[in-house]
Amino acid sequence: MAAEMKFAKTHEWIRPEADGLATVGISAYAVEALTDLVFMQLPAVGKRVKAGESFGEIESVKAVSDLYAPVSGEIVAVNTALPGQLDLLGKDPYGSGWVMQIRPDDPAEMSALLDQTAYDASVKNTPH
Amino acid sequence: MLSAWWDGDADGVVNMAADEALGAVAERGGEPLIRFYGWSEPTVSLGAFQRLADARAIPDIAAASLVRRPSGGGAIVHGSDLTYALAVPKTHPLGQTAQLLYTAAHETLASVLQGHGIAARLFADPPHDADFLCFSRRAGGDLVVAAAGRQPTAADPKVMGSAQRRLAGAVVQHGSLLLRANAGVGPAARHAGLEDLHADLRSLDLRQLATAWLDRLARRLGGDFHWEDGRFTTACSAEAAARTQAYADPRWLSRR
Repeated sequence: MAAEMKFAKTHEWIRPEADGLATVGISAYAVEALTDLVFMQLPAVGKRVKAGESFGEIESVKAVSDLYAPVSGEIVAVNTALPGQLDLLGKDPYGSGWVMQIRPDDPAEMSALLDQTAYDASVKNTPH
Repeated sequence: MLSAWWDGDADGVVNMAADEALGAVAERGGEPLIRFYGWSEPTVSLGAFQRLADARAIPDIAAASLVRRPSGGGAIVHGSDLTYALAVPKTHPLGQTAQLLYTAAHETLASVLQGHGIAARLFADPPHDADFLCFSRRAGGDLVVAAAGRQPTAADPKVMGSAQRRLAGAVVQHGSLLLRANAGVGPAARHAGLEDLHADLRSLDLRQLATAWLDRLARRLGGDFHWEDGRFTTACSAEAAARTQAYADPRWLSRR
């Protein structure tokens, strides 16, 4: 797992890429907690989002959850394979289970997010 | 402290807006809230991502109004059920994962029904969740009961199903306790309810049933409960009204 990956308290991860973009996905912890995924609504490419704003939704057998943008910016790509292969989220949450790519308005916003150690500590005592 | 409202009947748009507002108030106040309500007209509530065309293709529900819930799951035919919405802050131990709250609500109601001599339990057999209608589906944790005089089987009717919308700071779980088969829809959309399966429950006072449930549910949530005066939709009318337009928007109903 890349050292520079950051996490939102709402369980999305974000990883800066070499081209100035950043890849966003859902943490392994969150995917495991959701269980039995049945549907995913991806955002439209080109949509602008603000940090903390919902950019998509995911449905499990019991619940619909929003996905929240970890930073503000423009969505430049989405993983169109995901809705038909939701198991990718669990099998490879930090790789082929990525959700979207965003062009951050201000990369410094990432400094407000949790690093891996802090995120792991935040979910350590949370039951599944 | 779990605050409870007995809200009476409203249409689908008002009810869905109120349920979402309940979540906002619970998040702000940091305490769980629950409201019980009915429906002013026969209504089918669709799960958040069910296809509207699939609903329109079922002749037996054609006479009912349609509304789309913020939560997932299958379509529910309302009008012969007692509906509840429970909102719990995500900081609450039972708000942290979907199954915890689902199980807590259903186990405590099962316990109340067991006190009435009913073989009520949570479904634990292999799920089948492909049907369009919620009460034709079975998932782990659904509340099922054996008919009077029958031994429990894997085919026992489901009398309560619930679904959640997990908001940023709160979880809204709403569900229906099916009281009787709904005569307002065709036979393919009718399911036996609690009173059909246990005729002696026809004289049961629903508010007393809800009170017994709340007593157990509040303890599971770690506190007591109290009934609020009036209706949530009146007490928090601004919160609910702010969300009414979104649920009344035809684009919400036809989003899929």
